[in-house]
Amino acid sequence: MKLISRRTDAHTLIGAYAMDAITARDRERFERHLAGCEECAREIAGLREATAMLGAATARPLPAGLKERVMTAAEVTRQQPPAEEQAARTGTRAAPRDITGTWFRSLAWPGRLTLAAGTAAAAAVLAIAVVFGVTNGNMRQQLNQAQASSRQIAVVLTAQDAHMMTRAMPNGGTVRIVVSKTRHALVFTAKGLRPLPASQEYELWLTGPAGTRSIGMLPAGSDGVIGPVVVSGVRAGDHLALTDEPARGTARPTTPMMLDVAL
Amino acid sequence: MRAFGSQEPQGRRRPADGARPRDDLEAQIGLVARGDGAAFDALYERLAPSVFGVVKGVIRDPAQSEEVTQEVLLEVWRTAAKFAPGRGSVTAWVMTMAHRRAVDRVRSVQKEAERERRVATEEVPYDEVTEAVESSLERERVRRCLNSLTDVQRESLILAYYRGHTYSQVAGLLGVPTGTVKTRMRDALIRMRDCLGVDE
Repeated sequence: MKLISRRTDAHTLIGAYAMDAITARDRERFERHLAGCEECAREIAGLREATAMLGAATARPLPAGLKERVMTAAEVTRQQPPAEEQAARTGTRAAPRDITGTWFRSLAWPGRLTLAAGTAAAAAVLAIAVVFGVTNGNMRQQLNQAQASSRQIAVVLTAQDAHMMTRAMPNGGTVRIVVSKTRHALVFTAKGLRPLPASQEYELWLTGPAGTRSIGMLPAGSDGVIGPVVVSGVRAGDHLALTDEPARGTARPTTPMMLDVAL
Repeated sequence: MRAFGSQEPQGRRRPADGARPRDDLEAQIGLVARGDGAAFDALYERLAPSVFGVVKGVIRDPAQSEEVTQEVLLEVWRTAAKFAPGRGSVTAWVMTMAHRRAVDRVRSVQKEAERERRVATEEVPYDEVTEAVESSLERERVRRCLNSLTDVQRESLILAYYRGHTYSQVAGLLGVPTGTVKTRMRDALIRMRDCLGVDE
């Protein structure tokens, strides 16, 4: 019978599946089979205890600094609650709660900018704590309460090549950028920028061999602190620039760069 | 045909978590799921060397291996609440994740076709692997069990698990039909499971 032969066929993949020795397509096919095969699930569990021991036998000394990076990243990484278990198993990642909508005045703009504001304030506080090195008890407290953070920020901040730059703005205020070239991303925060008239906002740009790309308008800060903003799509030779523009934003800078940082 | 493993009694488990009982790691992962940094630290100490070992075996490149190791450990932290004790040990959960990620990384970097070609010129790395798993009791046990397999079983297992090749690549390397390799892989794992005293 066709059904039976197909079942048997899928079932013979069990060893290969337990060792990830199959293509993505075969994996999918096998997992469909697995969904209806209680017995297979049990067998796989047993085989995986065996592969785990094979793996454990190759234990080797860890590279220096790895632990510190893992622990730092864990500190800024939000954990999944058990309730999300199902979604996670089906491969639907809990999407970072981007509030891109409030950032972009026009949908036509490239969506490169993400405000790391899951459970907003706390995530921002956390990243600012990391970026500005502020670690007073009060901040920690807020962080723990909200258990919020941004994986994207963590990825940049904990990258091996993460590199921090601080620039004083000519009209007052400070900008901090943590950039990771291997991650093609940066985290931007600003403190004490001069407030602009209501009709204007700060606009962030990437400019370089790939042209000048608008990243988006900086959000209003709280207590003078803006961000953290994760900017992805950073390419070799890019500079990060800031201008003040009409609040609706422009496709090209219309005022002189107030900030121009080689990344 | 008898399905191996389906007739094993359920309650009689021996830990795959080394000398210490499985419960120990299970308690720790429970604490990690609640955001306990100290428990995560302890878990790291126990499992990170194995994660790095298996990832590096598959990926080879040290920098990429380190990156994937970091991702895996962070994933453990992030999804600790997903761990389901009824489905196996913490070690198996973490090592499965590590191996899968390493393999995915390697396969996303090289197009399958290229890899098929490259693989055909590779030597079977048996000596290297057995050398790598030579010291310590645990390793000695794994080595002894590996030696109890037939040649095709052992080589299939080593190329698939330690090197991250697909069964069709393994078949090509060994000059054996794919159907045979699939069967040998399953047989090899079942024999390893029984030899290592894992029952599930």
